[in-house]
This record gives sequence, structure tokens and C-alpha cells, in this order.
Amino acid sequence: MTETFNRILDSITGWIFEMIVQPAMYDLGLMDWAEDAVDWIQFGLFGVVTIIVVYVVCRPLEAWRPVEPVTDRRAIRTDILYTLLTRLGALPLVAFVLLNSLSAWWAGTVADSGFVPPTLETLIPGLREMPILAFCLYIVILDFGEYWRHRFQHRLGWWWALHSIHHAQRQMTFWTDDRNHFVDEMLAALWFGTIALAIGVPPGQFPLLVLVMRLAESLSHANVRLSFGRVGERLLVSPRFHRLHHGVLSTADHGKNYAVLLPVWDWMFGTADFNRDVYPRTGDPEAPEALATGGWLRQQFIGLKRLAGAIAGRPGY
Amino acid sequence: MRRRALLLSTPLLLLARPSAADIVYVLNSGDSSIQVLDATTREELRRIPALREVHHLVMSPDGRDLLIADSGANEILFVDPATGDVRRRERISNPYHLAFSPEGKYLVVCSLRRNQVDIYEARDLTLLGRLRMPEKPSHMAFRPDEKVVYVTLQGSGTIGAVSLETREALWEAPVGREPAGIIWHRGKLIIGVMGADYFAVMNPETKEVERQIPVGRGAHTIFVQPDGKALWATSRVQSRLAEIDPTTLDVRRIIELPGGPDCIAFDPDGKLWVSLRWAGRIARVDPRTGEYETIRVGRSPHGIFVQPRRAES
Repeated sequence: MTETFNRILDSITGWIFEMIVQPAMYDLGLMDWAEDAVDWIQFGLFGVVTIIVVYVVCRPLEAWRPVEPVTDRRAIRTDILYTLLTRLGALPLVAFVLLNSLSAWWAGTVADSGFVPPTLETLIPGLREMPILAFCLYIVILDFGEYWRHRFQHRLGWWWALHSIHHAQRQMTFWTDDRNHFVDEMLAALWFGTIALAIGVPPGQFPLLVLVMRLAESLSHANVRLSFGRVGERLLVSPRFHRLHHGVLSTADHGKNYAVLLPVWDWMFGTADFNRDVYPRTGDPEAPEALATGGWLRQQFIGLKRLAGAIAGRPGY
Repeated sequence: MRRRALLLSTPLLLLARPSAADIVYVLNSGDSSIQVLDATTREELRRIPALREVHHLVMSPDGRDLLIADSGANEILFVDPATGDVRRRERISNPYHLAFSPEGKYLVVCSLRRNQVDIYEARDLTLLGRLRMPEKPSHMAFRPDEKVVYVTLQGSGTIGAVSLETREALWEAPVGREPAGIIWHRGKLIIGVMGADYFAVMNPETKEVERQIPVGRGAHTIFVQPDGKALWATSRVQSRLAEIDPTTLDVRRIIELPGGPDCIAFDPDGKLWVSLRWAGRIARVDPRTGEYETIRVGRSPHGIFVQPRRAES
């Protein structure tokens, strides 16, 4: 199944690149980026598949047992725009362009120091023969990193100024997963890059596993009264577990349930709340109204303004 | 008597055994694997897992090891070319393209993403020098006296010359948009200009481009046929294979080869094995007829190599 999925994805990617993108890049004098373009086409295609799969799984669940009725469709449409811009590659592409020079400079500086960054497989040689296990181990370590990034997003005032966009949504649905400020996404990329320097980046040949992860992350934001049970709640972040994190009393540094994929980190560090009967209202009562109901551009602008305010030490940003 | 006859005939029987097929190595840069194929049956013999991104490979001067560069994993795999067994791995900073100098004294490694060219002692892989280059050092060619290596700088549109003696940059000269493959040919450098439709012929003494060899949009890599009677060049945008006369540098023939032809290897029969980057396939091309067949491999196949293994008769 994995092979068939990869083949179909590759065939469509190859066709789009060869027939449409590459000739255009040639005409525009951009052949230097040809191989990167292939990766980005695949990123976008994979994004389309992800959106379809997430929709097909999550939408019926939301219709089946919603936590709350939908009263603000406009806010959901904004989240859909966030999702499209992120998953189809538009914002990541801008981040790539902005960070590429920095990344090349940093990689060169590290190389000049004589340090050759390892991979998890060089640190644990047995993993070479078990790529799927290696991939899973990468996910566990990166998820651990995500847990701590998420905690800092809530703990540091200037970071919360950006991250509060994610929490301001009062009409939370599976579309809310990608509702993040652009600068916040860039910081996430830098955070990931730092961890990757220590353990390498995960192997790229398992898009189906990534798809399952993305589905789990989107599902955790879904407007569905769903708990994974006494054991399941401790294994994988559920809609119930994550909704509690988005609750109105869980904003800024009062947060609980920071985990992105694996609740074990909250368990270990004392931030878990496994109260399975609670489905609180979501949102950030202290955030400006525009962060909840404004459009994408307005939210991005206000996020920047709040970031500047937080850095300058303005109360309430 | 019968036993003696049998003993005497044993060597002849061994020579007459079914010939072993050549084996083809394909570096699947998109799915981190090295595919080993039987050149006759086209069947996959084994798949060697790599860690991240395998792009280029080179045979060691003594013919003992096939060096396969895994750029994303920061390592080079040393593979027994006859069996595909991985003998060892060496930690090397982001190896993209790699080649030994003509006398086998140096191993030079280009890092496309880190803008660096590393010069190693071939014998023990001691790093002799690291040069910080302008953007995207891609492919390389050596002067036959082993004193200079020429590197295409894909992001700068230039050729950089580096002294292997002093390990210093000697000069940099413009050649055209996004230069890629490069060879030394009879005192000249022939360079694939990926942002154009030609190979540039540069005089390394004057640093002037003396002529252009049009092959098709996206001119990419160029290889010398083992008997020296032809040069073979690829163009990735127009998807072509071009046969070039090594003396006149005129294009003798164009073979349309869809799928983004990239690297080329030659088998003992003179057939060309070409990686098709965008199709997830390789092509086996008969240069006499221009006919070809394609074989499905992994994702984004890049480097390719044929290990002759057939028994002599």
C-alpha cells in the first residue's frame, strides 16, 4: 500500500514538474531551484491528499457528536484559509525562501567548526536496518521537542503574543490545527532545525506515516465529543484531551495538556489533565476580538503588533 | 583415466558456466535507497538502505570500493561493487558530488547545500582543505596533471578553479546560467548550462567560452563513452540524449528520452544506462539504433553505475 501510494504521488509529481513547472522555471531562469521545486510540488500534492483525508475522517465525526453547535462560519472559513496556505505550501515556501540563506550560512559555519552533525542512525547503528522504527523514534523525539516548544509558547510573553492567535478561536474545528502566526511558524522551523542538528532529520520515505500523524493532529482540534478511553487517552492526544488545552481557563501560562501527539510528556512533567468528562468552551478571553473573528491578514498584523508590544514591555501588549 | 580426464576438463567446465550478468547500481535519491539490478533480467537483486539522500557515486582508483555519497546523512558508503555489501561508512560533511583525481591521490567532494568544496587525502580520507565557495558547487572535472580541479558553481553561473597543491581558489569565470555537469576533454572544459540549451566549451587557459554545443533546453551532464568514440550529453528540460563527436564536437544524433535524463553509465556491450529523474525509471539505450526500454526503479533516481560481472570465455 505504501509503495502504491508513493508511486501515484511520484507519478503525478513528475508529470506536473516535467510538463508545467520545469519549462516555466527554465523560461524564468530559475533552474537552479529545479530539484527543490520537485520537493515543493510533492509537498503541495501531499497537502491536498492530507486535507481530503482529514476532511473525510473528521467532518462526519463533527456531524455525529459535536461538542457545540456551529455559530460562526466566518471564523471557520478563516481557519480553512490558514490550512490551505500552510498545507499547500504557500507559507512554508515563503519561510523556505527567507530562511534558506540563513540555513546555508549556518550549515557552513557548523561544517567549518569541524562538527559533522550525526543522525539518530549513526548514534544507534542498529536502527540502520529498521527504517520504520528509526522513523518512529524520530517522531517521539521531535514530539518531545514540540511539547517543550509549546510550553515556551505559553510561558514567554512575546511568544504567547503570537501563539494566542491559535488559542483565540472560539469555534474550534479540525481546521484550527494550522491557525498559527507566520512568525510563529518560522520559529517552529528554527526549533525543528536546532533539534535536527543534534539527531538529523527523519527519513523522508514514509509519507503515509506522516499522513496518519497529520490526521491525529487535526482530529485533536475537531469539534467532536470524543475521548480515547482510559488507556487511549494516555497514548495519543484525543479531541477531548486537546480541547481542554484550548479551554478558556487554559490560556497563556495556565495551560494544561501541551502535548501535540503523545500525552506521555504531560504525564511526565505534571501538566496532564485526564479528566475525561470535561469539554470546555474554547478561546482566549483576553485576546483582541479580531484574533477570534478577524480575517487572516488582520490577525497576522495584530499578531505582529502584539509581538512588538510584548517585546517593548507594554502591559496587555 | 576417466578421473584424470575429468580433472583436466574442470577448468574448461568452469569457463563454460552460464555467464553472470552485469549489475546495475541506481541511487534513488528520493527514497533513500540503493537499488541493485541484474542487467540481463532487470530484476532487483537487492536494495541497500541509505539514510537520507544518495545522489552520486564513484569507483575507488583500485576498483575495490564503490563510494556512494549520502549528502543528507553526512556519510559515504563503501560498497563491494561485486556483491553490494556495505563494507564501511565514513562520516563526511554533506557529500553531494565526488570524484578521485586522475592519479587517485585526492578525493574531492562538493557540497551543493553548504557551498563548500572539500579536498581529502584519498588514501585515508584526511581532510586536507575546505574551501568556502560561491553558491552551489555542483559537479567537477580534473586537469589530467592532477593539479587543478574545476567546479561548476550552479548558483553563481560560474566555473571555479581550485589548486589541489595549495588548496586555494585560483579563479572564477562566468559560463552561463546554472552550470551543472563538467568534463575535461582534450584541453578544454565542456560544461552543461542547465539554464540554457547548450554545452559550453571553455578554454581553461583563457577562461573564455569558445563555442556552444546545442543539445536541447536544460543541458545537464556529459560523459565520455569508454572507447572514447563519442560523448553523451543529457538535457533535462527537453528530455534528450545527445551523441557528440569527440573530435569536431558536433552533435551527431539526438535521442528523445522522456523523464528527465540525468546521469549515464555504460555497460560492456556499449549500451547506455540513464537515470530518468522525474519518471522514477532508468532507461537502457542502444546507441546503435537509438531504441530504448525503461525500467521502474525508486523515487528520483540519480547516480547510476554498471559493474561488469560476466564471465570471460
